[in-house]
Amino acid sequence: MVDEKNDFKTNLRKIVFRALKGTIKGVLFYALYLVLFRFLVPIPDIVPGFQQAIETFVMIYVFLIIADGLTSGTIFHHFFNATRALFVIGYLIFSLKGGILGVPFQNVNLTVDLRLFLTIAIFLSFLGFAKSVLQAINYLNEKSERGGI
Amino acid sequence: MNVPIRMIGIATTFLWIFLVAFLASAVYSFKDLKFDFGLPQMSVTLDNKLLFSLNINIVNNGYYSMDSFNVTTEILDVDGFVVTRGLTFIPTIKKGENTTIFNNATFGVDDLLQINRNYLFDDSELRAAVYAGVRIAELIPVEVSTNLSLPWGAPFYNLIMGQPERVEFNETHFRIAMAISFENHAFFNLTGNVQAQMYSGAGLRVGDGHTVIEAPQHSFYHGYVDIYVPKIELTRGSRFEVYFLTPFFDYGPLVVPYG
Repeated sequence: MVDEKNDFKTNLRKIVFRALKGTIKGVLFYALYLVLFRFLVPIPDIVPGFQQAIETFVMIYVFLIIADGLTSGTIFHHFFNATRALFVIGYLIFSLKGGILGVPFQNVNLTVDLRLFLTIAIFLSFLGFAKSVLQAINYLNEKSERGGI
Repeated sequence: MNVPIRMIGIATTFLWIFLVAFLASAVYSFKDLKFDFGLPQMSVTLDNKLLFSLNINIVNNGYYSMDSFNVTTEILDVDGFVVTRGLTFIPTIKKGENTTIFNNATFGVDDLLQINRNYLFDDSELRAAVYAGVRIAELIPVEVSTNLSLPWGAPFYNLIMGQPERVEFNETHFRIAMAISFENHAFFNLTGNVQAQMYSGAGLRVGDGHTVIEAPQHSFYHGYVDIYVPKIELTRGSRFEVYFLTPFFDYGPLVVPYG
């Protein structure tokens, strides 16, 4: 009975710690977004829908960070990590329209070629995805060595 | 296996931070770039070509230099045919630099007349398509394009060749005076010669004459071309062929039937 109570307490502490860790990570990421967005202030005036697109991205990304923190120490942690990497790739390709952005502004058409940035970002996201897959393999390997998945 | 995975993670994080910081600073730097497009101007060169000029003032107060700055201007007629093209290229605009670029495109009135001769007689509109490209932070290509409208004033607007008037000059010759009038709506002063040749009904050249025209821009011109013709050669079915010879273009023959 005492052992069960202790187990419950330990598990609760673990869950609270994970939730706290995930939330802190999410808050830090959001703070980073707020700081960086100050640098991007001229863009929303020129590109309609830019702020909305960025905010949607940040919202989903923060959710994935928190979910990642909550599931830390389980296989789902790696699953969320991989999802995050794939989400970044998908979102960048979708929102940057293949890397060439065309913005009509009054009588002027502005075209920005972000293909190089997109290529590097996709490459880095794939690295992140590969890391998550390797971590998942390593996790399963360690778990099987300890005697049961 | 944990150490290599962690190393990949650390390297990826650093690269992400570097990439995002670079992009954010490049975009932030973009706000300190000032492009000041002057009003497009049309003028005449020393060799009597028409000159479209556009000056662009660039103040680069950003964090990075810009390179491969190029401006291309295309002058197009109403149907979209390219009359001429002008290109200006600046390899680098360093940070803190203030540069003024002159983008010129020259073309002859002859080039325009090859597309459509009505540009001589009807006011119209030309279009200037301006493309400016630059690599911000020496890495991110940005292109800006815009269309400008250029009013075209016809040099021979409302050209009227009056009915030739015949008067007796002497016992053997008639003097035939043909009135010419037009409005010079062009942005250049028009000077030149009008040559008129008279042909008999049989197609023989029976006389010619010429006059000098001087029509400053936006002015009305009225003058006469006098032709002396032998009386015996004046037959029914005669005609005049009129040629306009100016430093900007040559035009003719304009056929005016007579008799």
